[in-house]
Amino acid sequence: MSKRLDAPGLELNAEVLVIGGGPAAAWAALAAAGQGAQVVVVDKGYVGTSGAYAASTSGAKILPPLAVLRDPVKFERYALGGQLAQHRWWDRLLDETFEHAPKVWAWGGYDTPNYSDGKGYYRGLQGSETMRILRAQLLKSGVKILDHSPALELLLDDSGAVAGARGFQRQEDRPWTVKAASTILASGGVAWLSKALGCNTNTGDALLQAVEAGAELSGMEFSAHYSPAPIHSSVTKSAFYRYATYTDKDGQELLNLSKNGHRSTSAIAKELLKGPVYCQLNINGAEKPDTQRMLRLMQPNFFAAFDKIGLNPFEERWRITLLLEGTVRGTGGIRIADDDCGTTVEGLYAAGDAASRELNCGGFTGGAGPNMTWAIGSANISGRAAAKRAKALGAGAFQRKVRAVGGVGLVAGREGAPTFDSAAVVKAVQDEVFPYDKNIFRSEGTLVDSLGKLAQLWETVKGTPAQGTAQELIRSREVAGLVAAARWSYFAGLERKETRGMHKRLDYPKLDPSQRHYLAVGGLDKLWTRPVPVAEEVVAEPVDFKKVYA
Amino acid sequence: MIELVSESRCISCDKCVKVCPSNVFDSVPGAAPIVARKEDCQTCFLCEAYCPVDALFVAAEAHEDVQVDEATLIAQGLLGQYRRNLGWAKGSNPIEKLNELNELRERVGSPF
Repeated sequence: MSKRLDAPGLELNAEVLVIGGGPAAAWAALAAAGQGAQVVVVDKGYVGTSGAYAASTSGAKILPPLAVLRDPVKFERYALGGQLAQHRWWDRLLDETFEHAPKVWAWGGYDTPNYSDGKGYYRGLQGSETMRILRAQLLKSGVKILDHSPALELLLDDSGAVAGARGFQRQEDRPWTVKAASTILASGGVAWLSKALGCNTNTGDALLQAVEAGAELSGMEFSAHYSPAPIHSSVTKSAFYRYATYTDKDGQELLNLSKNGHRSTSAIAKELLKGPVYCQLNINGAEKPDTQRMLRLMQPNFFAAFDKIGLNPFEERWRITLLLEGTVRGTGGIRIADDDCGTTVEGLYAAGDAASRELNCGGFTGGAGPNMTWAIGSANISGRAAAKRAKALGAGAFQRKVRAVGGVGLVAGREGAPTFDSAAVVKAVQDEVFPYDKNIFRSEGTLVDSLGKLAQLWETVKGTPAQGTAQELIRSREVAGLVAAARWSYFAGLERKETRGMHKRLDYPKLDPSQRHYLAVGGLDKLWTRPVPVAEEVVAEPVDFKKVYA
Repeated sequence: MIELVSESRCISCDKCVKVCPSNVFDSVPGAAPIVARKEDCQTCFLCEAYCPVDALFVAAEAHEDVQVDEATLIAQGLLGQYRRNLGWAKGSNPIEKLNELNELRERVGSPF
């Protein structure tokens, strides 16, 4: 057993425990507190800078309930996502976002946008600014925040319901235990430490913790999301590539990497497999000074990558790469099993990137708007439901006998097993999930090969985790999450024998209408999948769609 | 990655220790924090954004070390640049930045 984790530490009760530090965690905590629940938020990093959103920026879809505004949003990526999204869920999420998202402006002292023009609003404040405002609001609402306190494992009661979590305060070097009536996992997806902007706190922790507690995942085959970045940098801000021309090393323009203003990740990947690719922002108005100023104000982080090396992206070419964003901008995650954003385990809810986003994104995403709408919507839904459950359980919730269920990466699989080298395992997992010809362009051969190597890595991380320091304790556990998430992704990818959404199979290049279902996936040593029907018939797009909604 | 904690500017407030989501810094009593785990830096620039005295520099290079020189960075206006661009610097304001952006959106037209 872990001496470090079993040492005396901080012990708290919470009616609602929220695990995570990004917008979904913040909104879930605010929603629960808004119902009168006593809430504790625990995060690996700092609530305000953790997660992909704080480092980047994205707007939610803030739209009044008018079909003329909402239908284009629902249909925009419906076909791209393989018709796995559900319009009923879109409506629920858009309702939540319309009601709650504008509060950030008021809390931050901004003028609330005027919706009277009937156009709706897609914009947000900077991610860092929004998270600063949300943190202040959490504190004002009486929510207790534990920063630098990653959850490492969930607690179960005798009935198998989730009853809180246990983790470690890395700056105090002591464990924490929170007994909770309801627990919300909102600690993000997995990007396998690629350094895609803001994604390195997202190491699949929530997925592993959920599965150990008996929950299921879904959509893990939709985890191959990559975004372009200047090759030297972390900056995966992708929206401005609509102003880019793509060239090869000789300056010859590469055509067809962009379609209708949307970049094609697979087309870029194909070129990158051949040789260097360069970009310059010099089309669609990017040559105008006013446009340049506008873009700089919209995304200061995009330009940080260039300003710091003295490169003008409007006048010079720069070399790009694709960085893996995994399920952070992909859609896989913990399977939502009911209308409360509950999981298949009693007492456990999931929100934001930690949860499968298939309900509004299907098998394709990439745009921030739908993702932020999911984060705000799922967080508000789960936060309220978690508070309601806590009130129903009452003080008895804290008298339950509990046991911690964390396994691989936290405790040795067997006595005397060798200590594994976390850094080496990280590199080995990355060697399976980063290469475009393994993850973007999949086939039975590559998937089976990678799954074999990942199964060996799983055996490796069942060894003894290094726990000499708080950092080692946390990293050893993260590494188990990275291996597990890669296995679930490729196992589901092997099972889905078709091309749908962002899941591309070279050996099954077409969409197969008979596979219009979700794939639940789970298991630790032995993996499994199970088709889950989509609870909504395909919704037909209006005829002359563009004309109707122009 | 994080390449500079300016000892001349740092006021030892430990804000960077607190806000770094990857826990890269370690506090040192009465002195500037040290970069204890540079390899964990995810190059998100948020420590720069929060530093009240512009004492930090996160290079854009996310995957390799680079040499920086404090005097050169100051001369180039790079210390605190990201904070200024967010409207978080003293004498600046994110609301003014947003108003300017919205005015440009109206005038130039924006697909976003």
